Amino acid sequence: MTTGDDPSLPQPPRGPRTRSRDALVVVFLAVVVLVLFEGSSVRTAGDQMQPGFERDVVVAVGKPSGWVADRLPFDEWGDDALAFLEDGGVGDEGGFGSAPAAARGGVPPVSPDSFDPAELGAKPDPPRPLDTLLVTGDSLAMPLDVQTARRMAERDKGVEVQRDPHVGTGISKTGLVDWGKLSTQHVREREPDAVVVFIGANEGFPLPGPGGANVDCCGPEWAAAYANRVRRMMNTYRQGGSARVYWLTLPIPRDGDLAEVARTVNAAIEVAAQPFRAQVRVLDMTELFTPGGRYRDAMTVDGRRRIVRDPDGIHLNDTGAGIAADVVLEAVRRDFGG
Amino acid sequence: MVFPSFEFAFFFPVVLALSWALMPHPRAWKPFVLAASYLFYAAASPRYCILLAGLTLANQAGAVLVHRTSEERRRKWIVGATVAIDLGVLGVFKYYGFFVDEVGAFLDALGLGMPLPLLTLALPIGLSFITFQAISYVVDVERRLLPPASLIDFGLYLSFFPHVVAGPIVRAREFIPQLSKPRDPRDVAVGAAVVLIALGLIKKVALADYLAREVVDPVFGVPEAYSAPDVALAAYAYAAQIYCDFSGYTDIAIGVALLMGFVFPQNFNSPYRATSFRDFWRRWHMTLSRFLRDFLYIPLGGNRGGKWRTARNLMITMVLGGLWHGAAWGFVLWGTLHGLGLVVERLLRGRIDAPAWLRWAIVFNLVVFGWILFRSENLDVAGTFISRLVVPGDATLWTPVTLAVVIGVIAFQLLPPDPLERLRLRATRLPDYALGFGLGAVVAIVGATVPSQGVPPFIYFQF
Repeated sequence: MTTGDDPSLPQPPRGPRTRSRDALVVVFLAVVVLVLFEGSSVRTAGDQMQPGFERDVVVAVGKPSGWVADRLPFDEWGDDALAFLEDGGVGDEGGFGSAPAAARGGVPPVSPDSFDPAELGAKPDPPRPLDTLLVTGDSLAMPLDVQTARRMAERDKGVEVQRDPHVGTGISKTGLVDWGKLSTQHVREREPDAVVVFIGANEGFPLPGPGGANVDCCGPEWAAAYANRVRRMMNTYRQGGSARVYWLTLPIPRDGDLAEVARTVNAAIEVAAQPFRAQVRVLDMTELFTPGGRYRDAMTVDGRRRIVRDPDGIHLNDTGAGIAADVVLEAVRRDFGG
Repeated sequence: MVFPSFEFAFFFPVVLALSWALMPHPRAWKPFVLAASYLFYAAASPRYCILLAGLTLANQAGAVLVHRTSEERRRKWIVGATVAIDLGVLGVFKYYGFFVDEVGAFLDALGLGMPLPLLTLALPIGLSFITFQAISYVVDVERRLLPPASLIDFGLYLSFFPHVVAGPIVRAREFIPQLSKPRDPRDVAVGAAVVLIALGLIKKVALADYLAREVVDPVFGVPEAYSAPDVALAAYAYAAQIYCDFSGYTDIAIGVALLMGFVFPQNFNSPYRATSFRDFWRRWHMTLSRFLRDFLYIPLGGNRGGKWRTARNLMITMVLGGLWHGAAWGFVLWGTLHGLGLVVERLLRGRIDAPAWLRWAIVFNLVVFGWILFRSENLDVAGTFISRLVVPGDATLWTPVTLAVVIGVIAFQLLPPDPLERLRLRATRLPDYALGFGLGAVVAIVGATVPSQGVPPFIYFQF
């Protein structure tokens, strides 16, 4: 730290000077404590990261760390001691790990819920009054939640817009958040009258196929597994038909690999919603923002060309999210009036 | 790669160990730390490394050319061209969308609307800091304050991972001389570094992110839904959040550099103690204020040439300083507010003798008001936020914990510095095992406060 002899150089903070070996000892001890108390978290974090060098590093360290932590009581002690600091978690009910009630043989029957009464010219069942609107999803839901809440605050002050986006999560990755459990918790704790879901920026992870073995994105098997999860969430959110669900499809991303995932996710959403057309509205963001499935940064809004996407080529910016919020609120108005 | 992440927790010990092992051999140490820094930077996007390398080569070429040229006019021309490259890169990546959008709106308003090429360009992380540091190097060489460094030394200076993403803005002449000889392995401020890293983690993860989650983001997102008590709390909470977020990042950066044997300049010094705007800018983001003073305000003429020219120079400096933070009118207004504050207090100096507590209260509340402009997504939101400050209603977000954090963060800066410094010094003298276990415990404890969404990025990463 030899800067003291030159007054033009920044001076280190006051305190004792020790050897570089001490720095290594201190850092090593801190890492040991981290492994002992958070080893399993490291392993989980690695499993849930996007593929790449960083993930390889965290997985390489996380597996032995998790192994060590599993065999020692520190992780558990730490969790117990610090439980009061953690957010509530998402409970255990309704997780994707539990098997869905699948039709075993034969052809599943078609129920009246498969039809949107409006499309048949029939009078729809009146939904319960709109008191609570939940906007949720991954990072895609983040400007959308604010834009929806702001528009709703201008339009109808009696409606409470609850915002609960979970950045970095996905329906095909359950380590960070299991959306099966989270949707169950949403319904149990919040009882929303309507739910807006915009999720899909972090998909493409392997999913358990029909035989139990993982299937990779993005063939029909993966699409079917994904659609099953989406369908379970839709069923949870529609609350036996008393609530309405507004599920947004994905605008196609700029990156070719991500675009392939998005197309598969969109196809899965359409299929997933089929049994619940009476309560679940699939709102098409794909054609709105990326007509013909072609990525674009800008579109004409109120007669003026405006940028609608974030620089990452995935998310909508505030202008884009505002347009999406208008579509959502128009659909909400059709169902709930106002 | 962000500091509070598992990736960094495993990257750093390896780099630290190899760095000290290679330290006696600069020919091996320099390429190693350069490669580690590029690896750190590539975690955001490998493509940004090409831009970083390009800026390094362009500025090094400029510095070498300036050094070899004796004719003053040519020297100025070379520096001008190099700085233009730096600002051009910054302008394209940071201000292109804003510029095209605003010009398009203006032309439309005149009835001259024409299709402008609207593109979104991802802002390479830390670009504002990188370009300012590159400018400081070339200008200091031109001013003969520093000889040109070797390409690898300059490359290291620009990319050194503790400061590449969000500063502090280290001047070339503060850092490059530290590369001239290997760091002394018997002279490492380990205790001070660990205390800084632990404090930085607490500030960022436990305090700043908590305030963002519980108060700031909900209210600034939809101010229409809240009334005066909550909106006022959100304004003060943001003042506490941005301080904890940015100074927390700086503490970690300085601590990490100290463990590697390098010293960075101080960036914060209890800014909410300030009793004038001038005082505030000597305590807040000190390396930016210093840069703006040395490379903009003084070249514009500084306080030479009378009070009106000084006022003009202050306003230009602060407006551009605001714009440096981002391409939005909110930043311009924030810079304007601070510029006006500096000008007014300069004009009033010696004419009004207000007590210190009153000056503090005025400056602090104006600074908090400025943060509303800074944080709001756009001017409409800022207007709504401000208008809600007079709407009576319930205090729905006032919880004991939230109030304690907001008041605690601000009040802590008002405490006398000596007892706190003594406390810090005592902590730095703890034995290695206590420092190591203490740092590990802090990581585990603040980690437990992280919600399922993970740790949000530092606010200054976007600049």
